Amino acid sequence: MNTAVSFLELPARLAAWLLLAPLLPGIINRVKAWVAGRRGPPLLQLYYDLARLWRKSVVMSTLASPGFIVGPAVAWVAVAGAALLMPIGAAGGALSFRGDVLLLIYLLALARFATAWAALETGSAFEGMGAAREVSFGVLAEAALIAAVLSLSVQSGSTTLDAMLAPSAWPGAVLLASGLFAVLLAENCRVPFDDPNTHLELTMIHEAMVLDHSGPPLAVVLHGASVKLLLFAVLLSEAALPIGRLAPGAGAAALAGSVLAVTAGIGLVESFMARFAFRRVPLLLTAAFLLCLFALVLAWKGGAQ
Amino acid sequence: MTGDLLLLSLICLAAGTAVGPRLAGAWLALTLAGASAALGAAILVLYGGAAWEWRSAVSLGGEALHLRLDAVSAMFMALLGVVGGAGAVFAQGYWTDGEHPDSAPRGRLWWDAMLLSMSVVLLSSNGLHFLIAWELFAISSYFLISLERERREARAAGWLFLAASHAGTLCLFAFFAVLAGRNGTWDLGPMQGRAELAPFFWLALAGFGVKAGLFPMHVWLPSAHASAPSHVSALMSGMAINMGVYGIVRFSGWMPAPALAGWAMVGAGACGAVLGIAFALAQNDLKRLLAYCSVENVGVIFMGLGGAMLGAAHGDAPWGRLLLAGALLHVWNHGLCKSLLFLCAGSVLHATGTREMSRLGGLWRAMPWTAALFAMGSVAISGLPPLNGFVSEWLVYLGLFDAVSGRGVLGWAAMPAAVALAGAGALALASFVKAGAVVFLGAARTEAAAPAHECGALMRAPMLALGGACALLALAPAAAWPALARATGAWHPAWADPATPVPLAVLGFVNTALALCLAAAVGALWARVRVNGLRRAPTWDCGYAAPDARMQYTGGSFGRTASDWFSWILLPERVMRRPRGPFPPNTVLFERVPETVLERLVSPVAAGVMRLASGARRLQHGRVQFYIVYLVGGITVLAILALLG
Repeated sequence: MNTAVSFLELPARLAAWLLLAPLLPGIINRVKAWVAGRRGPPLLQLYYDLARLWRKSVVMSTLASPGFIVGPAVAWVAVAGAALLMPIGAAGGALSFRGDVLLLIYLLALARFATAWAALETGSAFEGMGAAREVSFGVLAEAALIAAVLSLSVQSGSTTLDAMLAPSAWPGAVLLASGLFAVLLAENCRVPFDDPNTHLELTMIHEAMVLDHSGPPLAVVLHGASVKLLLFAVLLSEAALPIGRLAPGAGAAALAGSVLAVTAGIGLVESFMARFAFRRVPLLLTAAFLLCLFALVLAWKGGAQ
Repeated sequence: MTGDLLLLSLICLAAGTAVGPRLAGAWLALTLAGASAALGAAILVLYGGAAWEWRSAVSLGGEALHLRLDAVSAMFMALLGVVGGAGAVFAQGYWTDGEHPDSAPRGRLWWDAMLLSMSVVLLSSNGLHFLIAWELFAISSYFLISLERERREARAAGWLFLAASHAGTLCLFAFFAVLAGRNGTWDLGPMQGRAELAPFFWLALAGFGVKAGLFPMHVWLPSAHASAPSHVSALMSGMAINMGVYGIVRFSGWMPAPALAGWAMVGAGACGAVLGIAFALAQNDLKRLLAYCSVENVGVIFMGLGGAMLGAAHGDAPWGRLLLAGALLHVWNHGLCKSLLFLCAGSVLHATGTREMSRLGGLWRAMPWTAALFAMGSVAISGLPPLNGFVSEWLVYLGLFDAVSGRGVLGWAAMPAAVALAGAGALALASFVKAGAVVFLGAARTEAAAPAHECGALMRAPMLALGGACALLALAPAAAWPALARATGAWHPAWADPATPVPLAVLGFVNTALALCLAAAVGALWARVRVNGLRRAPTWDCGYAAPDARMQYTGGSFGRTASDWFSWILLPERVMRRPRGPFPPNTVLFERVPETVLERLVSPVAAGVMRLASGARRLQHGRVQFYIVYLVGGITVLAILALLG
């Protein structure tokens, strides 16, 4: 356990995660607008949306139990807690202990449980559909994530995130990065798995689950989603690049640059690709799982020689 | 002190068996006293340190009594006390004399008989007495499962259980007889040095595996757990299947096991975890879903045990100890969560009279306590933080990760196991979101859900107690470590170090902090919603004007995507006749997931055996002339053999 965490560090980290996260969807939208030759929404659009939603009143289904409000709050805390575990370059995580990587993955699963539960509160067929897809695809995504962190664990010989994300570049990193990028797109409901722009489509996942949310709970859902996106971007960057080995300043710059690149990459994927037909989504996720599995076998066999 | 408590416990349970049919109040007091005494004795052994052993000159069946409570059996004894006591209180509100004048008295008798026989199994250190108690345990389970014997379904489930159980017991008879033959005594104890005994471990694995519900020997489990009264299901799932686990832990610790056994257990455990939960996801019967989830959790436990055996065989690797500790802690966690969930299911069944999830819905309004406790149990059994299921799965994961990092040949077992554990965890999440949401959320799907009511205090108290125990293990997992350290030490002397190899205290701190943050965030969001104003309106549903309860997602549609991936083993049966033509006749939609292993594998084999047997019976027809022919033929063959030999 990292005892050097000062009392100021924790709020500062939390503030950084929570305040920077809504920037990412803005960047993605700017990239998409740039490719399409449009002006696009302002970079800070999500901040405006969140501020407005936070002041609005709430309409709740007559069928919904208090779990409808509890769900988004639980999901938000789980994602924020997972973000705090994530090491930032050489500075490490806010709390680091053996096995913290599993806590991170299972906090994301807790967020999925809470979101799906809240979605089913309303008895709406749309939200049932979204929740069913979310938990089903979550099976493949979680298997891929475990294979990915297991490969990092084998490569570094540790189960602590700080140490796991430190290894220098190794051949499996390319496989791992491609697998994790696909998992990032699936877990954050981006094209080609889901289309965050559509709202009344039968083919969507995340947006379908939050159709009935409004006001502050919707703000919490949207903000939690952006924190999750940033979390995955940081995880992908640090898993692929030896950022933990750089000096703090250079590391921070490299991390920021890499997260920007990942975000721009998501924007480009969304500009140039169409959403997949639904029956092909499991295939794509299986491919992501296989990429992570190959990375794992490479790490496992690589050290034995 | 330990001995006194155990004696008290046995006397109370025996007295409870005697007075149970007539005096319900006295029975409850005796059962609770017996269960608490068993729990107390177990805690003394687990936290006080010294194992308790007692040899008597009194002999039973020609064998001197030899009882022993060491840390391994005390782990199970503690769970027995908690689940046995909680179920007994629940039964007083759930299966009352008023509603079941015929079966409730019998239920009380067999309840205490089952607790008593399970305690004796845990205590006895003599093969003969072990077998006698094991048989009594199977018989009392049978009578409890078929308590409602006027229902055909319950009789069939009980019969299937009895048949499967005896198939297992047959293996155990062989196992103990071989041990007695080789040792020259029925007395049991550590026999690690006797390498020639190793092959007989397979007999124990088969015999105890049936009772544990290890895939694919689980065929009796779903129908027995679903058809039994819910407090019995809780005891069966929370404790009885763990008796099978106990047998494996006991004898893998006491005797040498073949090298392949660890691999087989990890493999069967991993397959069982994924397939068990895949079957759970496809169920429409709430209690059958919970029963299949037990198959999954037994798979996880066997993964840990098998890994521990591999670790012990490969230079006492420290990760083997983590796997063993994880498996043993998972026995506690699964026992507590699953009995909580079965009691919740019992509360739903009591209120609505149906276990079919597609007929329920929207029960949270009428049963807020049950709904909240079911949600808590769901989070715990899916292995999510901050609850207890996560702690044991975390230990198992750490053991598997370390095993892979060792880069030895054991990675071939640990890598698939880790991925299977992840897949099973995510499928469990899907199953329990489905179960909780279809039963408790949304709108009532049929009239069955309409007259629902919250359960009474006698039913709610044990549910709260089990939920509290889950929370305790989640928030202070480090408190369980001394017990786990003693149990792993009793299993393997090299693994007795009392210091925690993993930061359980930090995990407990994180769980506590997470729980507090969750409470604070929920409170803050709720307050904000209150300030901004809250209005109730019909579900928006993209502006659809006339929503209907039958338009909701059903359990079947919710699980369809993921269960389709397993259709090769689930083999779902579907009969559908759509409305056609201007005057459509009646329409039909019928869906069923068969018990694949039972219906496609066990039943055909059993039917073949029956055909052979009835064929052989034709030889016996009562005609004396033919019997004389048999005799002459037999004597001729014997005569030829004698001449040749």
